[in-house]
Amino acid sequence: MTNPVIELLEELRWYALGKGLKLAIFYHEEQSRLTRFANSAVSLNTSEHLVRLRLIAFEGQRKAEFDLICDPADTASLRGAIDQLADMVALAQPLSYQPTFPVYPQRISDIRAYDEGLAALTSEDRLAFFNEVAQGLESADVRLSGIFSSGVTTTAQISTANENSQFFKVSDAKISVVLSSEKDKWEVNAEQSAQKKSDLNAPALRADLEFLLRCYQQGTPLSLPLGKYRVVFGPAASAEVLEIMAGWGGSGGAMKRGFSFLRPEDVGRQVLSPLLTLVDDANLPELYGQPADEFGVPRGRFQLYEKGVFQGFLWEQDDADEFGEQPTGHTLPSMSLAVAPGSMPCANLEQLAALPRTEDVLYIPYIHYINIVNPSKGLITGSSRFGALLLRADGTIAIPYNVRLTQSFSDFFGERVAWLSRETVVYNTSGTYGRRIPTALRVPRFLCVDGIEVSHSNTSY
Amino acid sequence: MKQAIQTQIERMAARGATYADARWYPFEDQSLLFMWNGNLKEFNASRESGLGVRVLYHGAWGFSAASQLSDLPAVFDQAFDNARAAAERVTFPVRLAEKEALQAQFHSPNRIDPFEVPLGEKINLLRKLDEALTQPGVEQRAIWMNFTRKQIVYFDSEGSEIEKTIIEVFPGMRVMARDPQGGMQSRKFLPSRLGATRGWETMDEALFLEQAGRIVSELNQLVVAEDCPRGQRSVILLPGIMFLQTHETIGHALELDRILGYELSFAGGSFVRLEDFGHLRYGSEKLTARADATLPNSPGSFGFDDDGVPAQNNLLIDKGLLVGAITGRQMVEEANIKAHRQIFAGSSGADRASSFYRVPIERMTNINIDPGSDGSLEDIVRNTEKGVILDGDKSWSIGSNREQFHFATDIGWLVEDGQVKGVVKNATYRGDTLPFYNSLSAVGGPETWEVRYVDNCGKGQPSQIMQLGHGVPVCRFDNVTVGE
Repeated sequence: MTNPVIELLEELRWYALGKGLKLAIFYHEEQSRLTRFANSAVSLNTSEHLVRLRLIAFEGQRKAEFDLICDPADTASLRGAIDQLADMVALAQPLSYQPTFPVYPQRISDIRAYDEGLAALTSEDRLAFFNEVAQGLESADVRLSGIFSSGVTTTAQISTANENSQFFKVSDAKISVVLSSEKDKWEVNAEQSAQKKSDLNAPALRADLEFLLRCYQQGTPLSLPLGKYRVVFGPAASAEVLEIMAGWGGSGGAMKRGFSFLRPEDVGRQVLSPLLTLVDDANLPELYGQPADEFGVPRGRFQLYEKGVFQGFLWEQDDADEFGEQPTGHTLPSMSLAVAPGSMPCANLEQLAALPRTEDVLYIPYIHYINIVNPSKGLITGSSRFGALLLRADGTIAIPYNVRLTQSFSDFFGERVAWLSRETVVYNTSGTYGRRIPTALRVPRFLCVDGIEVSHSNTSY
Repeated sequence: MKQAIQTQIERMAARGATYADARWYPFEDQSLLFMWNGNLKEFNASRESGLGVRVLYHGAWGFSAASQLSDLPAVFDQAFDNARAAAERVTFPVRLAEKEALQAQFHSPNRIDPFEVPLGEKINLLRKLDEALTQPGVEQRAIWMNFTRKQIVYFDSEGSEIEKTIIEVFPGMRVMARDPQGGMQSRKFLPSRLGATRGWETMDEALFLEQAGRIVSELNQLVVAEDCPRGQRSVILLPGIMFLQTHETIGHALELDRILGYELSFAGGSFVRLEDFGHLRYGSEKLTARADATLPNSPGSFGFDDDGVPAQNNLLIDKGLLVGAITGRQMVEEANIKAHRQIFAGSSGADRASSFYRVPIERMTNINIDPGSDGSLEDIVRNTEKGVILDGDKSWSIGSNREQFHFATDIGWLVEDGQVKGVVKNATYRGDTLPFYNSLSAVGGPETWEVRYVDNCGKGQPSQIMQLGHGVPVCRFDNVTVGE
């Protein structure tokens, strides 16, 4: 059966060959749907169907790029872009190193992460799911917000080097349900990720929300005294921080330029807790793993940290070219990060609250607006959000106003890690700035760390 | 195409839509040149074209966008179907504030279209600047020029047809080096908007060369500097950080959709409540802020917003008192009804989408702080007992209701007894928004006021990156926690 995407790429390839141009062609198509809720209503219901092409021309040590969002049937415009790119690459300044021109070693067609059921969800399906989660939880004061974002993303690559092409098609969804008090301004949430329709589980979302809602409606709010706490992080908090640490801190290019907290001598050293093993596993379709990166470099199971010991830097193609390193299959917009499970049995919030404790424990499900304060120290900052709890030593639960954490990666994941839950969850961090980038991590349901410092504590919601 | 779009809008009305609009982008072009350590790492051009359609049906929005326009009716029908599905869960039917139907055009002022300048000339300028930055002590150097040019044709079912052509130039340069502790230090130059235009003519080579020398000199001071001390002192924010302070804790806090809870699933809310308008003391009497979309030289000026409402200049904070917000047609109607009083006389013309494939939402225009009467930077320093001058955005993080913040800056200069005592590195400051603005004790005069651009403001779901501006003077705030 013919593939119209590959046919289009082959047609453009032949056109470039006719001009004598060394061209790599990257295709991205998204069919995105987003139903957004606010103030207990559907505030927005969108569909976007977009086709993007990225064309990179190579000529010796020169390269130039042309990106389009276009109608693929508009052949004249596509050819015009290639013509313009041919002019550009002649003007480009030679790089100080030889850029790699992608030569795809084999034909790949991978649709393991595509699920027809998820792709076929309608607006009515999304609304029914939200209604099931929120049924009876809303009131005049407690309002429903959130998103049901889903999409099908098709990517493909070809170059003029040979006739091989790569084709990938995936489906993804992220659901975030928020309940907030209009009067008091607190907000709690529950999130779920899906790669296939059967991943959707409204009762599980509802259980988390019901628990948090009960805590927030019955608990006493307090401004947390500054100082150090035992903190349990939820999957959103863990995933966001891990993603920054792995992608940016582990980048060989960032290290060479002085922007990583890791140094070459850290390879083979105990950098994080022995409880933490982190792998970029391209074999996992639920994490949108694919067998080759955008330049055709094979991908498999790339160990980043083995029991806290740093295993090696990631090298995307351009950095590898510049610094004379071997690419590691990381020329792609997202990794497939998975944390090995821990040993603490704790599958949900009710179980977390019931764990025996001899000290107050702060539960932080989500860290809002994370930014990097000092890259070479691995220092980041952000504020708690969406349902923090203070699980008191006496078994009661209080509601802390949001707090700020300004901590390093070693504070989060270093020797003070106390335990990881045995249960893991998939957490979707798909990007939608510009193009849709399906991304998910497998992280512990809960991660417990001692000595996390609260540096700022709000005095109200 | 125009006629075909008009026909589809009429068809939406015939199907029962109470309102429909469409934004057709014949083109949105971008040209990015990015040089790192002398290597032209990014030499990119891009072109986007397509159509975004918004339909209002039974009080609910539906939106659809496509780059493939061969089946135009399908794009409109998708938006209609989305609105019809959304109408199954409506708690406050969308109403739009009155506006005038306009036939209008807007062209951003520029003398030289940057897309008409030969690429070779641009690369030569990059090379010259790179040479100027190649100095002892500099480990990493980056220079960039980002040019955009877009045409937007807007139609709505109320009879408006507005055509806009907007050109922007976003240049900058940065130098970096490691201090003895291995920490990366950085200084950058992001030019303020001088003159009254926004084209290639704003690329002032002499100014860039002069500033190259300054940032290299400051970087070399930074790498041997002490850390910013911890504690409480006055912070004197130069425009290179004051613009971001304004952006994060006045601009975002006063977006009416945030105030009304429409961003709670992602970007967050605002500590501001509807009852605060006209009553809340946001800052000291020295603070007057406005949303001014009429500045000629800033990306926050666009002629007409994506509701088809003309650009305006409105007060947000008047001598410390909260009086206005950043608004679009939908939100002002909802706010007035919910507040049981007329807070807003109409839309302030701030509903914008970042591209054809995103839906318009409340976005900042140019959120400016009026210059004050406290003179020059030197005058303010002279009257500061214990402070630190801060410049350059390094990192920023803000609470979900914009109630508190933490900023790190590229550089600081300690001030003791009215004297500048030297450079400090790794400077940070944090605070709570209202106490912070109420500690505003000095606002520089017109000679300190600069228009800064922002080309990466993120908000919304699906996510949108917007361009805008801030005209700000030098400001001093007292009793601020620094160095954490």
